[in-house]
Amino acid sequence: MRNLFAFIYRFRAFLVFLLLEVLCVYLIVRYNTYQGAAFFNSATKYVGQVLEFQSGVTDYFRLSSINNTLASENAALRKELMLYRLHAVTDSVAELDTTYYAATDSSKAYPFILYAGRVINNSVRRTNNTLTLAIGTADGIQPGMGVISPDGVVGRVKTVSEHYATVTSLLHSKMLVSAKIQKSNTFGTVKWTGGDYRTATLDYIPLHVKPAVGDTIVTSGFNTVFPEGIMIGTISNVEKEQDRSFYTIDVKLSVDFAQLSYVYVVESTKREEREELEEQAGIVDDEQ
Amino acid sequence: MNSSFGIKHIAQFILFVALQILLVDNLVLFGTGFCFIYVAFLLFLPIGISRMWLLILGFITGFTVDVFYDTIGIHAAASVLLAFLRPLVLNLLTPRDGYDTNDSVNIHVMGWRWFLAYALMLILLHHTAVFFLEKISLQDAWYTLAKILLSTLFTTTVMVILQLLFFSPKRERVDYR
Repeated sequence: MRNLFAFIYRFRAFLVFLLLEVLCVYLIVRYNTYQGAAFFNSATKYVGQVLEFQSGVTDYFRLSSINNTLASENAALRKELMLYRLHAVTDSVAELDTTYYAATDSSKAYPFILYAGRVINNSVRRTNNTLTLAIGTADGIQPGMGVISPDGVVGRVKTVSEHYATVTSLLHSKMLVSAKIQKSNTFGTVKWTGGDYRTATLDYIPLHVKPAVGDTIVTSGFNTVFPEGIMIGTISNVEKEQDRSFYTIDVKLSVDFAQLSYVYVVESTKREEREELEEQAGIVDDEQ
Repeated sequence: MNSSFGIKHIAQFILFVALQILLVDNLVLFGTGFCFIYVAFLLFLPIGISRMWLLILGFITGFTVDVFYDTIGIHAAASVLLAFLRPLVLNLLTPRDGYDTNDSVNIHVMGWRWFLAYALMLILLHHTAVFFLEKISLQDAWYTLAKILLSTLFTTTVMVILQLLFFSPKRERVDYR
């Protein structure tokens, strides 16, 4: 027994080293998986405060570009609004007798709510990129919600604290987004493979479709994370490889992740119901 | 904990980790060269620090950075590895007549050759661990290797600059050559 203790004492540094490394590996395996939510993350109160302070300083240097994006988004929204008004003026159908039309057509109800959030931490050049937002449960954010920007898809909320949220960016090796080519309605999966933060790949487009450079890729709406038809990017390169039954397609992402300042968290009002139903039916989907 | 460990090192810890999170995080060269300057805290600890303390400090430092980077475990694992190997590298680089009591990791005291050998070796090990843990697989190994080499050079350069700027040469002596 004494020998055992002497042995342990002699190799204590090595044993502590092994212990700590095993702990680290456990942490990596447990919390760096796509779904795994860590207790310690950048949404933690004090960490969030430091990051918010930092972005409070650095945002001053980007004020003009942030203002520009917000102003151009306002202009786009105003244009769309005017179009609707014009439709309302010229289209008198809505004022017709409601006998033929249900007053509240559920297919027209848009079951998505947007929350605006400020990006306080962002990375684009790592293998697994994440964002931190300055909104949390106090504002109605829940894990699993989608995150979009005026330009397109950004990512998905991973963990939430009271005032902060961490987001798995589209630029994350484990993030898959269910997408479709807008023109032909062909479904595929968008995935970021590392390297350049402006390009991702679109997989599982069968060979009988004819995708062309410049085609728009949007979200499919096959799940409750993103509404249907949110822009992801445009096709920048199509290749047909000998031994594959799918195209290799490069997508130029519409969102400039390096310039993100404000994003919207999407809440689907029907999400719980739909996910519960799909779970009961045994549909398991790791795409977002 | 020996007497040489005190306020100075706590201040260094806060400074290096803050530097890492607030400033250097945004500096990436050509999309491949990362700077993990927080390892300077571990490298600049006293030469005679006990191995146990070094391991624990390594874990704490790496974990703090992990929390801000949202990469729980990766930097902690690499830093613990660095902390474990630091005494071995120090042994390897022992000057002919052993370390003096007032020797410290200081480019003016120990000389350029000693410092560069010491820093490059440990930083290379640390960065290799970080980038391969991040990637897990051997996919894109060349890209990962490029990242490791460029990042090692970047971090070492920044560390040498910090040494030249902020570490006093007042205990300068003849180099061991």
